[in-house]
Amino acid sequence: MAKMKQIILDPLSDNNPITIQVLGICSALAVTIKMETAFVMALALTCVLTCSNFIISTLRNVIPHKIRMIVEMMVIASLVILADNVLKAYMYDISRQLSIFVGLIITNCIVMGRAEAFALQNPPRTSLIDGLGNGLGYSIVLIIVASIREILGSGTWYDIRVMPSFYEGNGLVMLAPGAFIIIGLLIWVQRSVIKKFEND
Amino acid sequence: MFKEDLKTIKFAAIICVVCSLILSTTVALLKERQDDNVELDRMTNVLKAFGQPITNYDGKPLNKEEVDGIFAEHIEEIIVDKESGDILEGKTSIDLSHKERKAKTSKDRTMLPLYQWIEDGKVTQYAFPISGSGLWSILYGYLAVDGSLTKFQGITFYKHKETPGMGAEIVKPWFQDQFRGKVFFKDGQLKRFEVKREGASPEDPHAVSGISAATMTGNGINVFINRDLAFYERYFSKIRGKEGVRDG
Repeated sequence: MAKMKQIILDPLSDNNPITIQVLGICSALAVTIKMETAFVMALALTCVLTCSNFIISTLRNVIPHKIRMIVEMMVIASLVILADNVLKAYMYDISRQLSIFVGLIITNCIVMGRAEAFALQNPPRTSLIDGLGNGLGYSIVLIIVASIREILGSGTWYDIRVMPSFYEGNGLVMLAPGAFIIIGLLIWVQRSVIKKFEND
Repeated sequence: MFKEDLKTIKFAAIICVVCSLILSTTVALLKERQDDNVELDRMTNVLKAFGQPITNYDGKPLNKEEVDGIFAEHIEEIIVDKESGDILEGKTSIDLSHKERKAKTSKDRTMLPLYQWIEDGKVTQYAFPISGSGLWSILYGYLAVDGSLTKFQGITFYKHKETPGMGAEIVKPWFQDQFRGKVFFKDGQLKRFEVKREGASPEDPHAVSGISAATMTGNGINVFINRDLAFYERYFSKIRGKEGVRDG
């Protein structure tokens, strides 16, 4: 049980896929202008990651080693297309705002990385938890970045006005460079707090 | 060795079949709902081109019933013959052949749909579909013109696959708002309209500023907006100046 707790908590902070491993940055920059899109994206990635880890782990003893990466890609791509179609049917506006970025979950390094590094060596239950943990780790960072960007950029949070009405949105944080700076600062703060440094 | 390879191929085949079955089933199940969304979005974009609010009193996007209601109250669709510019009496797009309805651009159509905005029994605006190649894909949109048939009222794009942050800026208000009030007909003839790469002064009556890093998208718009205007001009030239058409 303690191990399970470790697996789910580790990626939230000490081994966060974005701030520590610096994976999946592309979508973290692209969809964090507003809370709404960031939240749906985080949800989609967490679902895909949890399911792909579970499925790949279930198949881990029968997947022929030579084609294991292709099989992983197949599973991940199918799940992503599934998620994309569900969004198009039930959350049309958001799916349009997310545009190609849902599709790009296929190439998100976190998903493939967890399949290779964890799901292939561990039983389905722990893999599922690991997928969920990493999905949540990604989600936390996305939500923090989106909160900062939406509040400073538009003066709102989840489309609710939080800044006084005279506040003019800051254009820089709405652009990709603003997201780069925010994520950079976040990585710096987090690494200082948990005292993790790259030594070489 | 051979046995091992055979096993690999078998596994690959099974995984392919399973994945494709799951995907095709979901796509088939969700298709109707997705098509409804696309259709509602298309109709909402007609309203947007006409400069109508597309949110209700609560600030929520209009739903299907509300959009249908506005269409029934204000919008009349007519079909114009592309060659002659005559109205095909009593026809709407439902009467068109499958091929006509699936045509991607006006080049492939022989009949052109035209929406009229009716206010107090008079036509005050016209809108029609525009489409053509951008950089990666065909851009689909609507262009609305005023009752005197000389100025743009609004433009929208509802379907495209351009690059986010670059060509995809065509859906943003800053780009679309520039079109309002631009003149496409002056001194008895069509004026060439242009999306200018180097930027256009807001006072320029026949041009708008392009999007940086999306020159090809702008060039595409230049081609099809002028082409589609020329097709519709065959009808507009017949009604321009007639009774019922007011000065804008």
